[in-house]
Amino acid sequence: MLALQLLVNGIVTGSALGVMAVSFALIYATTRVFHVAHAGVYTLGGYLAWTLVHRGVPDLPALVLAMAGCVVVGSLIQILLYGPLDRRGAAQLVVLIASLGALAVIQNLIAAVYSPDILEFPPNWAGHVFPLPGGLRLTGVQIATVVVDFIAFGLTLAFAHRTLLGKRIRAVASNPFLAEITRLEPRRVHVYVMAIASALVCLPGVLGPLDYGLQPYGGVTPLLTATIAMIAGGIGSLAGAFALAVAIVVLQNLALLVMPGEWSIGVTFAIFVVFMLLRPRGLFAGKA
Amino acid sequence: MDYFYSYLILAEIYTLLGLSTNLLVGVVGIFSVSQAAVFGVGAYIVGDFLLAGTLSFLPALAVAALACILLNVLISLPSLRVAGDYFVVTSFGIQLLATATFTNWTAGTGGANGMPGVPPPDLLGLPIESTRGILAVTTVATLVACLAFWLILRAPFGRLLKAIREDESAVAAAGKGVLSAKVSAAALAGAFAGVAGGLYATYLSFIDPSSFDLDASILLLTMVVVGGARTLAGSIFGPFLLLALPQVLTFVAIPTTYAATARQLVYGALLIAFALFRPQGLLGERL
Amino acid sequence: MSSRARSLLAALAVSAALGISAPRPARAADAAPITFGAILPLTGPGAVIGTEQMKGIQFALKQQNAKGGIDGHPIRVVFEDDQAKPDQAVLAFNKLVGLQHLPMIYTAYSGPSLAMAPLTARKHVLMLNAGAQSDKLAHASPYLFNTLPTTADEVGVMVKYLRAHGKSTSVVLYENDAAGIGGRDDFVREFKAAGGKILAQEPTQFGQTDYRPALLKLAAAKAQVLFVVTTAGQKSMADQLHQMNQTWLVAGTTFMEDPPTIADPNAKGIIHTQVVANASPELMAAFKKEMGAEMGFFSRQYYNATQIMFALTEHLLKEHKAITGENLRAAIFQIKTFHGLVPMTFTTNTAVVPVAINEMTGGSEKTIATGTAH
Repeated sequence: MLALQLLVNGIVTGSALGVMAVSFALIYATTRVFHVAHAGVYTLGGYLAWTLVHRGVPDLPALVLAMAGCVVVGSLIQILLYGPLDRRGAAQLVVLIASLGALAVIQNLIAAVYSPDILEFPPNWAGHVFPLPGGLRLTGVQIATVVVDFIAFGLTLAFAHRTLLGKRIRAVASNPFLAEITRLEPRRVHVYVMAIASALVCLPGVLGPLDYGLQPYGGVTPLLTATIAMIAGGIGSLAGAFALAVAIVVLQNLALLVMPGEWSIGVTFAIFVVFMLLRPRGLFAGKA
Repeated sequence: MDYFYSYLILAEIYTLLGLSTNLLVGVVGIFSVSQAAVFGVGAYIVGDFLLAGTLSFLPALAVAALACILLNVLISLPSLRVAGDYFVVTSFGIQLLATATFTNWTAGTGGANGMPGVPPPDLLGLPIESTRGILAVTTVATLVACLAFWLILRAPFGRLLKAIREDESAVAAAGKGVLSAKVSAAALAGAFAGVAGGLYATYLSFIDPSSFDLDASILLLTMVVVGGARTLAGSIFGPFLLLALPQVLTFVAIPTTYAATARQLVYGALLIAFALFRPQGLLGERL
Repeated sequence: MSSRARSLLAALAVSAALGISAPRPARAADAAPITFGAILPLTGPGAVIGTEQMKGIQFALKQQNAKGGIDGHPIRVVFEDDQAKPDQAVLAFNKLVGLQHLPMIYTAYSGPSLAMAPLTARKHVLMLNAGAQSDKLAHASPYLFNTLPTTADEVGVMVKYLRAHGKSTSVVLYENDAAGIGGRDDFVREFKAAGGKILAQEPTQFGQTDYRPALLKLAAAKAQVLFVVTTAGQKSMADQLHQMNQTWLVAGTTFMEDPPTIADPNAKGIIHTQVVANASPELMAAFKKEMGAEMGFFSRQYYNATQIMFALTEHLLKEHKAITGENLRAAIFQIKTFHGLVPMTFTTNTAVVPVAINEMTGGSEKTIATGTAH
């Protein structure tokens, strides 16, 4: 029963991380920006939703409005920051520093406006406990998380492979130079990608805090794990990023059965370092 | 005066670290975000030996430097196999692993509670307790390191490193030892970080994992970026400026509860401005 | 792991100064302002607690200065941010003491306090800690005074209660940092010494509020008691505990005293030790009106410590002594018992204070036992 509950919890949390990894992978594959400030957009989504709910906006419209807010912020980061840096041919390190700066600005704006305290959503459906067969017990928000995130992942995959914009994005990702000369307008595509990824990351950004509360500095750890999932899954593979994110969290959960928890983060990264040495291209690299 | 001295001491220790980071990131092009881990190993080794009383300050510092040379070479090795953002994440992993070890290996590091009561540095059996005396020690160490850094950049070895960063395969094709050059640079960077750690532990007399975490590693990176990559002046200026800036800002009193957060915000904006308008840093070469 | 944005600022010691400080030694002769210092984590993850502490001090100052200060001297406190980091604390200490010659400084976290402790002895600066409870603080410096009992003392009260109520097996959930590990070690030692058995222990990371994996693993050990030492995120934990539907008794420390948790119906039945620092409802209301926040545990502690600071200042002014670290320290042992929010007696550097055991009732809480720590 313990193993089963750990497994299910891992899938729930992992699916949230998976959507984060997919959105990050979308950005990284297309723009080649290691978009650390994505953690800030993720955090911002939760705070926006919290504010709206406190103003009496019903849950669903609040989520949609929060997503719209994230889209605006994400696009602005691309238009005002990464775009100009890209045009200037800035080095990787410089873009990373700019992204870290943007993250600092977002997080501290949030901390200044909302205080650094952990904020909790008012008690609602999220905390309702559903006993399931096999001794499983899941809360409302856990069920919502796993359903919403798997659907979001499926829709993203379908979007990338079935729609014109999705194909355009994949073309830009696989060959920016060719995209340039064939008038696919990669710079505009970059903005679209940031907008879509920002809307996506808002889903776990709102559902997570419904469960665990909001913290201004809370987005970084999930983002770091998500980037690991993306790299281990193979850059360019959305399915790989999602699958690895779920696998990592499930493993972290199940690892508790055999090992004390203080080492679990360390072990995750140790495995990753070894993995990078043995298979530096990731598991599913190549397929876009 | 003690305030000014303590600022100088910390700035000099961070200059050593700045040199170490600049050597790896700026000069060789190994994008490391785990220099604070090496710094920490140096600090804990010196702390352990001095607390146990088995070695005096200078021998302990030498052991720490040696250990950090080995360690730094070891953790730079993956950069030979994986490049760019891949190595960044690998390096993140190494840093987090180090933090987990510092926090959980209670016997060697005091764990999360930290290691209190590290004795002050001593020379020939005489303890140096005054802030001024410690300043003298850190100044000597920093000057030696600066000299080494300067000589290396000028020597043929420096030109080889530059060539590797710009076109590694061409250098390899020309029959030059890419591997040995990278390893030597990593070794020197390790020695700098190890010495910095020993000085830090003895000056503060208390160390805990919070000084050697990911934040510290990224701070070092930022110092290099702001100061300027690949120059001696940049490696010194970055740490001095970044440690002084907030100290100066505190004299401008903003009487609100969130002044501290507001200043951090300004700081983030400064970083963005640097990246956009002066990516070579204040005193460096273009990255 | 902590935030990377904070990271960028790792070397930044930033201060929020309340009013303008007088950079000279405070003396009793004129009605000039008397200035003290406070080194607290005002940014980074520790800022949750640090700002709460700062508000406690600010509120006490506002009240007192509105009444004309102490003998006509307005009292000021200069705030410095150490981000809960030892090196930034030492830098801030040297600034407040070396440049501004302040005779007394508030401190909050174990690491920074331990790093500053040797300096307080060397510079003769009184240091008041009303936040950290590491056992090492008790004897760190003759100038470091603690208004909270050490965790060992506090946990001792809980262990006695648990054993008296027939609880003989326990598991421990602790935060993987100085506060959490210290509390865990003390509990494990005391509980075993009292004849109990520890069946399992699991860590959580600070700020990480998904406790489910650790709680599930602990639940599998089937102990009578779950002992919890975490400093933040208790409400999420209460909700997740409720989800698990366990029969164990959940016991915690003072850290459990968290208004959103107490208000949470899911927290019903949780017991915890509480260093008694009760504020009257009027005071709580005044605080909320003035500071725009609930008067939480750490606000009350630093409010209380500030009352001690007022008493010391008044004592020295009355005796026409200079307000120096030495004199302040001597005054603590002369006055001995202080009456801030709660009677508090100093026979050593750590105060003897009453400790209650409270039980949450799903909306509020009630005291079910009392004891004394130390």
